[in-house]
Amino acid sequence: MKANSPILPPHPERTGPARPTKRSGPVPAWGLKLGGFLTTFGIFVGSFGYATTHLYATNAPLQPATVASVATTAATGTATATARPSTATTTTTTLTSAVQTTPRPAVTVTKKS
Amino acid sequence: MDLFFWEIARASGLAAYAALCISVLSGIAPRTQALSFLASNRAVRALHDWSPWIVIPAALVHIVALLLDATARIGILDVFVPFLTSYGQLAIGLGTISLDLLVVVLVTTWLRRRFSNNAWQWWHRVSYLGFGTMFLHSMLSGTDLTSPVIAALSWAAGIGIAYYALERLGKALNPARIRA
Repeated sequence: MKANSPILPPHPERTGPARPTKRSGPVPAWGLKLGGFLTTFGIFVGSFGYATTHLYATNAPLQPATVASVATTAATGTATATARPSTATTTTTTLTSAVQTTPRPAVTVTKKS
Repeated sequence: MDLFFWEIARASGLAAYAALCISVLSGIAPRTQALSFLASNRAVRALHDWSPWIVIPAALVHIVALLLDATARIGILDVFVPFLTSYGQLAIGLGTISLDLLVVVLVTTWLRRRFSNNAWQWWHRVSYLGFGTMFLHSMLSGTDLTSPVIAALSWAAGIGIAYYALERLGKALNPARIRA
């Protein structure tokens, strides 16, 4: 057959099993990039909103020292107040010389008007 | 102002985790067909090549915010040298290791032409270790992972990537099965 012949030779028959055709999704590369960016940015914005509304996580795995000491102090104070409220009140009250104590028993019932 | 940096650090940490998930998944996907329902291998590969543009800013914001947050007490040295912090040494140290490995993967990728293909592939496989350490870092130190929804999403992403990574490993160890 001449090299410049207009009639091309027929394609040889393929042997063996046919290659399975796999259909891939239609999203172009720029769509994936845009999706990746929007996902990351969306998670950033959403997490920022969540962090703003949930500022103090008492069960967070990491507690820096300053936060831990404040939390311990607060927890101790709460426990003391719950267990011994009358003692806590007594220790914080300071009597000056102008205030006189009375031998009368304490008023335990208050009449409502 | 400290609280603002703290919020930014938390948000950017989760964003960096998501970005790294996208990067790793798009790297595994062409061989495992994990994203074939979404796009062609060529498009997924393009996403993987582009993914540093979302991973690096998110990681940088996370680090800078922690450096500026006085309560977190993270120093410049802690960013690159693991296990030096005064608290949470393991949890924060794993984050430092993941950053170091990320830098290794990025630098070797940019210098890819200077390596043989085989050597570069071995360097690139360090990213699996980097993702693993980042996953552990987020689980051990992530404040927002105390939320069940965020924890579930993070675990789902981690398990999904682990599944496809194992599938990828199986195909790499048994190439005859792919040809069959």
